[in-house]
Amino acid sequence: MSLALFWIFAAITLASAVGVVFFRSPVSAAMSLVMAFVGLAALFVTLDAFFIGVVQVLVYAGAVMVLFLFIIMLLDLRADERRPVKLAAWAGGGAVVGGFMAVLVQVVGSLPALQQTKPALANPAVNDVAMVGFALFRNFNLPFQVIGVLLLVATIGVVVLSRRELK
Amino acid sequence: MIPAIALEIFVVCLGIFLLMADAFQEKLDKRAIAWGGIIGLAAVFALTFFVRADGSAFGGFYLNDPLAILFKRFALGAGIVTLVLSLEYAPVLECQIPGSKPGAGLGEFFILPVFTCVGLMWMASAADFVMIFCALELVTISFYIQVAYARKNVASLEAGTKYLILGALSTGFLVYGITWIFGMTGQTSLRGISIVLGMVPEASQTALLFGLGLVLVSIGFKIGAAPFQFWVPDVYQGAPTPVTAFLSVGSKAAGFVVLIRVIEPFLIASAIAAKLVAALAFLAGLTLIYGNLAAMPQTNLKRLLGYSSIAHAGYLLIGVASVGAPFAGRAVVFYLIAYFLMTFLAFLVLVPVAAASGGDEISHFNGLGRRAPGLAFGMLISMLSLAGLPFTVGFLGKFFIFEVAMRQGHFVLVILGIVTVACGFYYYLKVVRAMFWQPAPEDAPPITVSGLTRFAVAFLAALILILGIYPAPILQFLL
Repeated sequence: MSLALFWIFAAITLASAVGVVFFRSPVSAAMSLVMAFVGLAALFVTLDAFFIGVVQVLVYAGAVMVLFLFIIMLLDLRADERRPVKLAAWAGGGAVVGGFMAVLVQVVGSLPALQQTKPALANPAVNDVAMVGFALFRNFNLPFQVIGVLLLVATIGVVVLSRRELK
Repeated sequence: MIPAIALEIFVVCLGIFLLMADAFQEKLDKRAIAWGGIIGLAAVFALTFFVRADGSAFGGFYLNDPLAILFKRFALGAGIVTLVLSLEYAPVLECQIPGSKPGAGLGEFFILPVFTCVGLMWMASAADFVMIFCALELVTISFYIQVAYARKNVASLEAGTKYLILGALSTGFLVYGITWIFGMTGQTSLRGISIVLGMVPEASQTALLFGLGLVLVSIGFKIGAAPFQFWVPDVYQGAPTPVTAFLSVGSKAAGFVVLIRVIEPFLIASAIAAKLVAALAFLAGLTLIYGNLAAMPQTNLKRLLGYSSIAHAGYLLIGVASVGAPFAGRAVVFYLIAYFLMTFLAFLVLVPVAAASGGDEISHFNGLGRRAPGLAFGMLISMLSLAGLPFTVGFLGKFFIFEVAMRQGHFVLVILGIVTVACGFYYYLKVVRAMFWQPAPEDAPPITVSGLTRFAVAFLAALILILGIYPAPILQFLL
């Protein structure tokens, strides 16, 4: 059952991710990205990571994508024009992607750990929200503070780069 | 004695204080913010001498060893020189940003380097992949903003976009590599990895190497090593000049510290170490050839310095590839200090000359020897040191690197290094030729230099010569 669900959601995620790249209209690409996020959230749930799955839907598929669509509408972006196909660029990009995939397949194939099935949770009643919170605010406190400074810098950047006239 | 983390806290507080001063003191001259930044960073620099190197803190996220403290000083020094450059560059930048009144928008340009400096300091102390990632992103995101800062200049916007897209790609590689390493070892801390590495089964080592390779690709982006260097020339040429200087020194040095830290635990496993060293040696050779050959036909000095920074990454990578030798780490650090001095000196001369002549082509330096002898002399020392002439710090840097490479048996790399040094003489001396053997244009405007810049040029030039003849102070310090 869970294996079937994995294949279904993996296929949805991959197909929508390909759609993000190939759709010419920005709105279609953004909606495709929503589907990819939803598929990813479902994959997290099948791995018993319920909290991460919910956050994935709430934050990425919800908040972030609304913002994306909002900006696309605001800027009134049109569909990409069809550009002439550059053979050299396609060949170069294809070689890099193909090579990367070949290495990836080889690495994954040689890994004995990936032949095992996922064991059931030892303690299904565990409170994973609390555990994520503890990990974030207690064990990973210093990186968390660094992220705080990072967000401050990003905010300054948005103001400086987007304001029509600086004061 | 103060705890090491206090240094970063002071710098963050300094940044927030300057931000508030900029926001609420509307009558404040924006130059006062830069001066505040310079004085504040200098004070923290002085405080670094009261910090004890006492191992790790914060559950192993924060490492506080002599190398970390040295690179904190490095980052603070780079921040100070960048602010000096920014003060000199401010009039040029003012024409390229949409301001409502004179001096508008300059405040943030002086404040962002302070936050970049914090990121660099945290990177120097990062001992965990999570911490490395967070600090690296702080540095990179603040650079995205600074590169695109001159909004009315199309070149700056183009540079910002290119840097953003390629930087995001390299971050993707880094995160993906970290997940593979975490998957194989169950650890994100470098110490933890070095402990469990011996227990990783043979069959999983390919996957571990794959993850390490991805991390290496990402660091290669940051330090501008070939074949991941394609963003360097355009970004360096398009960015505002002080940002170019900060990017080429600060970002590169931090990349090398992370590289040294990341490869350290993997050197224990001999099977992985051999492949790692081979990969690093390959990168070093490729970077040397590409950086030096591509620099030769350049006519724009900023772009030339961009290619030269790729070439210097190649020499540094030779040192990193020789990690087995006992002196290798010190040779790399010495080279980075030399690179700091000579690159910043070149930019300190470039900014006022470009501001007066209206461009940063090499031809704008024609006749500088007569127009501004002091600046021309500073540039001469910088170029000779970058080329690696004896009695400059640049020569000793290369000498130490080649020495450790010989000891590790990297003979091909040493020969390649010596041949490419000869290429270096050609393109660095092109600038010297323009300054002293070409006539100045008839209508050449006078070059005005602030006292601060004049002092900085004299100070860095003197350090290059003194350390080139008597390097003992730095070498003792590195022991």
